[in-house]
Amino acid sequence: MKGLLRPRTLAWIALVLTLIFFPYFHTWTGFAWFLGNLQKYTGINLSVFEVTSFAVWVVILLGLNMLTGYSGQISLGHGALVAVGAYITAILLDRTGTPVAVAILAGGIGASIVGFGIGIPALRLSGPYLAIATLALIVSLPQLLKLSDIVNIAKYTGGASGLDLPTMHAPEAVDGVMDDRQWLYYSTMVPAVIMTVLAWNIIRSRIGRAFIAIRDSEIGAQQMGVNVARYKTLAFGLSSLYAGIGGGLFVYTQDFVSPESFGTFQSITLLVAIVIGGLASILGSILAAAFFVFQAGVISELADNLPAVDRLRWAIYGTVLILVMIFLPGGASGFVQRIGRLKKSDLAANVRSPLAALRAHPIIQKVTGASSGAPEDGPGTGA
Amino acid sequence: MEHLIATLLQPLLLFTDTPPPWEDPEIFLQQVVTGVSIGSIYAILGLAVVLIYRSTNTVNFAQGEMAMFTTFIAWSFMLRMDFWPAFFLTTLVAFFIGGALEVFVMRPVEHAPPLNSVVVTLGLFAIFSSVALWRYGPLPRPFETPAIFDGAPFTLGEITISRLNLGILGIALLIMLALFFLFNYTKLGLAMRATAQNPTASQLVGINTSRMLALGWGLSASVGAIAGMLTAASQALSVDMMVGILIFAFAGAVLGGLDSPGGAIIGGISVGIIKSLSATYISPQVDIIAAFVVIIAVLMVRPTGLFGKIAVRRV
Repeated sequence: MKGLLRPRTLAWIALVLTLIFFPYFHTWTGFAWFLGNLQKYTGINLSVFEVTSFAVWVVILLGLNMLTGYSGQISLGHGALVAVGAYITAILLDRTGTPVAVAILAGGIGASIVGFGIGIPALRLSGPYLAIATLALIVSLPQLLKLSDIVNIAKYTGGASGLDLPTMHAPEAVDGVMDDRQWLYYSTMVPAVIMTVLAWNIIRSRIGRAFIAIRDSEIGAQQMGVNVARYKTLAFGLSSLYAGIGGGLFVYTQDFVSPESFGTFQSITLLVAIVIGGLASILGSILAAAFFVFQAGVISELADNLPAVDRLRWAIYGTVLILVMIFLPGGASGFVQRIGRLKKSDLAANVRSPLAALRAHPIIQKVTGASSGAPEDGPGTGA
Repeated sequence: MEHLIATLLQPLLLFTDTPPPWEDPEIFLQQVVTGVSIGSIYAILGLAVVLIYRSTNTVNFAQGEMAMFTTFIAWSFMLRMDFWPAFFLTTLVAFFIGGALEVFVMRPVEHAPPLNSVVVTLGLFAIFSSVALWRYGPLPRPFETPAIFDGAPFTLGEITISRLNLGILGIALLIMLALFFLFNYTKLGLAMRATAQNPTASQLVGINTSRMLALGWGLSASVGAIAGMLTAASQALSVDMMVGILIFAFAGAVLGGLDSPGGAIIGGISVGIIKSLSATYISPQVDIIAAFVVIIAVLMVRPTGLFGKIAVRRV
């Protein structure tokens, strides 16, 4: 019982309760006022739809973090695997009367088969070579989806115009209890929460420990009896399962998919997001999804207030990336964990740590002459 | 032999009206020449990527945007002077921009996990492309072609190659020779190689390793600037001109081996040739796919590219 009262546990319980009742909070004026002001002043749009889309990206980024953060294999082309899941789901929904849940699951399984297929050749590659090889997937994706002369893939994928699905409606069973939007929220949030809990458990199982062991030292892991090849492909397969299910949920929430839905740039920003959120951390993946979904709104809000900023949106984004990497090298979750580990008395010291990081910058050190014990060569210090 | 090749290639040629190479070798040769022309730009930018990879073990995603930005600087120089002075001045300016980026932006993440520096270069990508868009606008601008590259294209039978493309190829080879000389026959190049291989030991023998890293970035930015100016001369100057080129420059550098300047040239040119041949003989819808299929097939056999060194690590 005492465990329930720990701040960490309380925070998670509060989060779960908020998620459960979130769509109904909107009908409560106080909360609506809060959200309205939040959007007005920070640009963070917490509408039911935006939070639904956040849940979709949580699933996708959890998968990518499993691959890159835990097992140490870089994928710049994760968007392609998301696209596989999205297109399988969309084609099933478009051409057959498959129930939505089955279609999304099929998307996940299809993507994980593709992922296993990629994982096997990927065993031979590492570091930048793997990064560029996976980048090749996402770069060739639009051509593949629009292909019509050699194999008529465009017949199924709708080519450049994509697939437009009818809008999803809430089933009649919940009529009167929730509207379409609320239904969409719950039917996306429930799988997202399940996938998060599943990821949590996978990471703390034999599989997760094998991933981490391989990331830290392949040879060491092998010495301990880990089958490196099997677990590395498994990491690809599992993370593709997440990508595929995320892709299916993406189609389900957007009712639309086209080659432009999954661009090269977006695929690279997925990797950026997990590094900013925090590698090898479930919390990091969630924060990464928040960054991925809400960052544009915050920058737009900034742009509305400062006209000069308007055309420099991406410059702000880039500056944020660089600053986070310099001052919070462990990403957002690394920062949260560092604060969590501190005693109260250390807290004040740690809040100043970005400043300390600034002081540790080689240029600043040179200017202030505060380098670690190096003798001063300036005039006047001579004997 | 010829018969065997014909049988093997036949199924690929079903989707095009182009006569197969053994019936009309001139089309084939012309496509190879076109491929070499496209590929030499990939080769120069690939050289820039290799330079940074060799000296800091980072893949620089901002390479293309840095090249684009410095080309805009070249453009504003050209309003006031001729092509060649502007060309060399820009190369010099780019050198200092590159060095400054290493010192101010990359150095703080030097000891962080490798993905952190990748994210920093992606941040630089966003900053350069956004600032260029803000400063110079989205419309493409004409860019001066130097006089010696003007004039009638060279022809040999029915095969033609423009003077500019020949010039680009020549410049690519010149840069490669210069780098080869620098790395293999000068003390400076030796120091740069040593820094990349073992920073601690290099420091112990008295090499200023931080200066070597900054130098690597500077040189790379200069080579990138040359790639940017030549791209602008052959197409037009625009903010997004290097985005597509960068991806194929990466592909070429990886194909040749990320630590081999010669590999970057051969890789880049091969990527150009594969793209041009597959567009003609298979289908214009699959040129990108074909290029990447070949690259991945090569990586399966040689995981560090054609000429890359296989890293052997002591445990």
